[in-house]
This record gives sequence, structure tokens and C-alpha cells, in this order.
Amino acid sequence: MVRHTKSTRRRLAFTIVAVSIVMTFFVMRLVDIQVVRASALSAESLEKTETGDTILATRGSILASDGSVFAEAVMRYTVQVSPKDAGEFEREVDGTEQTITLEQATNEIGAIVGKPGPEVLAIITDALAADKNSLYALIAKNLNLDQLRALKALEIPWTTFSETPSRVYPNGAVAGNIVGFVGEEGEAQAGVELMEDSCLAGKNGRTTYEKGSGGLPLPGTTVTQSAKDGGDVVLTIDKDIQWFSQQSLAAQAKAVGASWGVVTVMEVATGKLLAVAEYPAVDPGNVSATPAEDRGSRAFAAPFEPGSTYKALTAAALLDQGVASPNSQVVAPFRYKPSNGADINDSEYHEDENLTLSGVLVESSNTGMSKFGEKLDPDTRYAYFQKFGQLQKTEVGFPSESGGLMADPADWDNQTTYTTMFGQGFSTTAIQGASLYQTIANGGVRMPVQLVEGCRNADGTVTDVPASTGTRVISQDAAKQVSEMLEMVDQESWVHENVDVPGYRVAMKTGTAQQPDGDGGYSSSYLVSMAGYAPAEAPQFVVSVNLADPVKMNSSMAVAPIFRDVTTQVLKSRGVQPSTEPAPNLPLNF
Amino acid sequence: MSGATAALDLAPERLGRARPQPERLAPERRHIRAVLPGALAKTRPRPLYAVIVVGAVVAIVAGQLLLSVGLSQGAYQIQQLEGQQVELGRTSAALAEDLDRLASPQYLAVNAQALGMVGNSLPSYLRLSDGAVLGTPTPAAAATSPIFAAGLVPNSQTASIPLVGGKEAAASDGASPQDAATPPVPLQDGLPSPTTR
Repeated sequence: MVRHTKSTRRRLAFTIVAVSIVMTFFVMRLVDIQVVRASALSAESLEKTETGDTILATRGSILASDGSVFAEAVMRYTVQVSPKDAGEFEREVDGTEQTITLEQATNEIGAIVGKPGPEVLAIITDALAADKNSLYALIAKNLNLDQLRALKALEIPWTTFSETPSRVYPNGAVAGNIVGFVGEEGEAQAGVELMEDSCLAGKNGRTTYEKGSGGLPLPGTTVTQSAKDGGDVVLTIDKDIQWFSQQSLAAQAKAVGASWGVVTVMEVATGKLLAVAEYPAVDPGNVSATPAEDRGSRAFAAPFEPGSTYKALTAAALLDQGVASPNSQVVAPFRYKPSNGADINDSEYHEDENLTLSGVLVESSNTGMSKFGEKLDPDTRYAYFQKFGQLQKTEVGFPSESGGLMADPADWDNQTTYTTMFGQGFSTTAIQGASLYQTIANGGVRMPVQLVEGCRNADGTVTDVPASTGTRVISQDAAKQVSEMLEMVDQESWVHENVDVPGYRVAMKTGTAQQPDGDGGYSSSYLVSMAGYAPAEAPQFVVSVNLADPVKMNSSMAVAPIFRDVTTQVLKSRGVQPSTEPAPNLPLNF
Repeated sequence: MSGATAALDLAPERLGRARPQPERLAPERRHIRAVLPGALAKTRPRPLYAVIVVGAVVAIVAGQLLLSVGLSQGAYQIQQLEGQQVELGRTSAALAEDLDRLASPQYLAVNAQALGMVGNSLPSYLRLSDGAVLGTPTPAAAATSPIFAAGLVPNSQTASIPLVGGKEAAASDGASPQDAATPPVPLQDGLPSPTTR
């Protein structure tokens, strides 16, 4: 209808081309923004608008075998003030407005947080002196809920409160050296806290949202990644036996002036540690009250020369190899000089004695044991140390755990070749010592040492369950014979009146070990031990006691009351029936 | 209101348009034109519709207002209940913490001793199946064994909690009556310092 002139057509064409160019540019720009650089741009925009908060995960608890709490996470509170705003304020008391002065208020705060009022006032004035517009001054932290509520009830307008996760140890020093502790910032520092940190530690969550102009979250933009709370570590420790062992140990250690001591209680059938008592003990809730060297676990970390309790290992090797029996005979002199040039003597002078192997254990004769031990070559005996788990760390894997120290048999000198038969010239930990007796008590089957039952996760699953497959070390017959000989020790040794547990058959061995002076020789200090188990006819519990440097009583008599009391308590609390069969009676002399 | 009347005004026109070939049916068209406005005028519908519409709008606005008041009331209530839940959770946690502390063996032992109980380390058993007494029944010694002396295993958590029956407040660790009677072992490492509570 419309007739175009030539110029009109030209204008039209020009317009179309121009519009197309502009359109193309726009489309390219659109594709560039929406497709090519989309992710980078939206990330940049999110960065400007997105904000978030950390959701704190709760650290798991450390529990005793019965579920009672050794360590748990709690909330503590911090009170801070705005010094700039600190001043008089009105408070309604019984329906009337009262003016509370700054001094009154600080006195009230001080009474609750346990600081003198003027000290609280000083915090405020000091903050103002440093900066007259100060908006923040810390008054007190680590407040409990009662204190928080009391402070809130004061209705002081210039106070604010914040939460801080903290950790408490409701049982104090009971198992303190085992449980360990965390630092000021909640970081694991020692013991099970450190060993099981991967189980205990939670994973903090985060909630993110895009904030609008007022800083408020834009609807529908909140993304919450919930926190993953830590799991609970369940220990094999029996809280009551642990406490009793510590009481008994501490009482006796103080009475005889010992520098430190360990009591270990182990379940024979499973290798589970029911108690690892230490003296001095650390209260994880008050770590600074204990010297740094007493804060760890000596039971795991401090190896020592064990002494005569390890004659049982030599006896077990002899019987298992079939080179001796409980009635094998030997003439034990006071001093024995083997052909290799070693020089062995007993602790007290005596005439030559005609002893059986049982008699050697009862008398704890070093010379007698040396004459028996010669029947096995060093490599064989070393292999038994290996099989009894005495040359490596236990399965527990405690922080700073030691596996003891024993030279390769090729490096044993003439003296060491003999001393290793009766517990000198090498070192083991208290736990390894308990494990030795567990093996003998368990019919020759060594169970892995267990301290932790497992990690109980928040969803109820239990992980990190330790291995519980035993390994046979000596034959059942050999184990039974060693056990009978150890029963003879309990009945006949010089300390027997002090270790009697009325009604029960007990097997045990004493040890009084000289300790190295760190200079190649031996010092005048001793480490006295007693290790055994009950009831001997069907062993259930190993009790092993070690006491270092008992200056007032330098013999295994020092540990006898601890061994007796702890054994009795364990049997009592676990409801073990008294023995009905009579104990064996093996000949000691010939 | 204006929208509503506009719709009403449009009605006749729409009716008219809907008729096929209006030019040819002139009488009908006149009829519609003549009657419809007159009927409208006679029945005076506009104020009624207006009232209905205004009423409806007012009702909707009021309803919406009430609804949002209700909603925000609910939001306040939720907030209040959530606050209450937090407070109760805190109380529960604090009580559980107290319970764990009170269940500690140290605290139980001093309390038992304060009530005059003594430990008997010599167990004997009565077997129910045949009435046999296993072990040697022996009365516990009246004197407290040093094993049960307080303060040997410190616990900073219970140091300041009074004993049962309000006895010897703040002396649960290290100063029970038994201690005064029988000084078994000197406290070499002192009393644990009390926590603020």
C-alpha cells in the first residue's frame, strides 16, 4: 500500500542494519554475562552479599565402661561490659524505680563472678583510660549457668554475655592421667583426649545466607550445613576400681615416701584394662596444680627395669620349651660365677640351697634362676620376650607410649645374658608387665591390651573397636604349671602374710629391681613390684603394682598392702566367688 | 469500585456486540438500548454492588490484618518457646553436669564416711541356692583405713560442694571428721583449690 521512495528504503535499510548491530552487541553481551562469565560473576556477587555464622560442634565425652562421665563438653559464659555506657541506671525493685550507681553495680557483678567490686570497677576505668570511647571490656569468663542467670537478673543495661564451649572432668583425678586434658582453646593435649581426638572432635557446621540492605537474611537464601558432633570414647576403665586403686596407691605411696607408682588391673580373658592408677595423679580440671612431669601416664610412657616379677617369663619359657618342670632341681648358692665371666648374687647372703624351680621363684633366687636360664640360649629367650609382647608398644597406642628397651641378644654382654633371666638389664612399662601376667593367667594366650572399647558416634554406631584376637605364647600346660608355681609364691614367700586375700587363691610374684643410675651402673634406688592374679584356679583379674623409690620401706613389702587391697576390692566389686578347691602344694626343696 | 462500575457499563455493549448482524435487527437493538439503561436506573444496582464490593474489600483487608497479627503473634510465641527451650536445655545440661560431679567416687566416699559408714575389705557371700556362707564374715574395723582418707585423689569439681545433711560445708576434700580423728597421711600436695560456684 505504502509506496517507498528510494531514500526511504535506504533509511529503512540503514536502520535495520544499525538495530541489528546493536542487537547483536546486546546478545553477545548477554551471552557473555549469562553464560561465559556467569559463575565468576555470581561468585563475586555472593561474596559481597553472602555472610554466615559458624555452628559449633560439641566435642564428644570420654566415658567409663559403665557409661559414667570422665570428660564432657559444657557451656561456660563470659560477661563483658561497654565501658563507655557504664554508669547509673534505673532498676525496678518491688515496684519502685531505684537508681543504681556504677559502684553498686560493679559490687553486685563482683559478688557473682568472685572478684572484689573495686576490681571490676577498675577494669571499666582502665578501659576508659585507654580509650574513652571503649565499647568492650572483659569482666569474667568461665562462668557457670547459675552465675550467668544471676548476672542477667541484675538487668544492668551495659553488660553483655557470650557462650564459650568448655570441658569438665567430673571425676577429677580419677583416671586423670589416662583421660588426659585439653588446652585453653579446647585443643587436645594429653591422654585419651589426644589419642582419640579424631573420634572426639566434632566438625563445625556453617549457616550461610545472603544479606539484604539491613543486614537481614534474604528469604530463601539460608543454607545450613549442620555441625557434626564428636563421638563418645568409651574406655574399658571401671571407675570405682580405678578410684579405689588410686586411693590405695596414694595412701601407701605417701606412707612409704615413694616418688611415683602405678597400679594396673586387667581383665584376664580380654586384656581389657580395668584400672590404670597412677601416683601422683593429675586432676584434668586443675592441671596446673600438678607438676608437668606428673601429668602424663607413666604406666604407658615410663619404662623401668622390672626385676624379679619377670622370673615368671623365664620360668614360662623353660616349661614351654620342656627343658624344666616345676620340680626340676638346682643348687642355688649366694654367689654364682658362670663360665662366661658374669657375677650373679642373691639379695641376701645364704648358704647353698637345694631348690626346685618352684623354690627358686618362692625364694626369688637370682642364682637359682640363672642356673635354670642357662638351659635356653639367648635367642630363644629373646623370642619369648617378643611373643609375650615385651619388645614393642602395646596395641593401645597411648600418646608417648614406650615399648620398653631391650638390646638385641647379639649385643648382650656376659652380665646382661644372665640378668635378663631375672628382670634386669632391660626395661618394660607397667602395662607390658600386666600383659605378661595376663598371658600366663589366660592359659598362655596373650590378648591385645585394650584401653578403649570404641568410639560411639552420634548416630549410635560404634567404630574403632580394637582387635581382640589372642595369640598363643606358651602351651596351656606350661601356663598352668607357671600359675601353680606362682600360687606357691603367694603361699610361701616372705611377704605372704601381707598379701593374703582370705577365701581366695592368689598367684603372684614380687620384684625389687635396682634402677639404673643413668651412667651404666645401678643407683641405690629401687622399684618394688608385685604382679599376680586371682582367683588362681580360674583367673579373672590381673593386678600389678609398681612403686618407685619407697624410701621408707625398700622392699616388696611396701607394695603388698596395695596388691592385697586392690585384689580384694576387685574380687568383691565383681562378685567373684571365694575359692573352694585347695591350692596346690609343690615341693620347694629337695 | 471504579473497575466494578466499568464492568457494569460494558455489559450492555458486550451484549449488543454479541448479537449477530445488529444493523439488520434494528428493532431488537432499539429494544435493548431502550430497556437496559432504564432497567438499570429503575433497580439502582450500583450502590448495592458498591456496598458488597467495599464490604468484601474491607473484610479481606481486615481478615488479612487479623491473619498477619495472628501469624506474628505465633512468631513471637515460637521465639519465646525457642528461648524457653534454650533455657531449659541449659538447665538440663547444668543439672546433668552437677549429677556427674556428685556421682564422683571421691564425693560419694567422703559422704559415706560422714554418715558413719566404713569400708569392709573382707567380703563374704551367702549362696542362695544352698544357703552356704562363702568366705569368713568379719566385722569391718571401726577405724577408717587410710585407704579411704579423703583428698588422696583430688577433684577440683567437688571441692566446694557441701556434704549430705549440710555437714562440714566446703570441706568435702580433706577435712572430714574422720580425718581429724585419725591423721593417717599428711597431705603433701595440699588441698585442691575450690572452684567458684
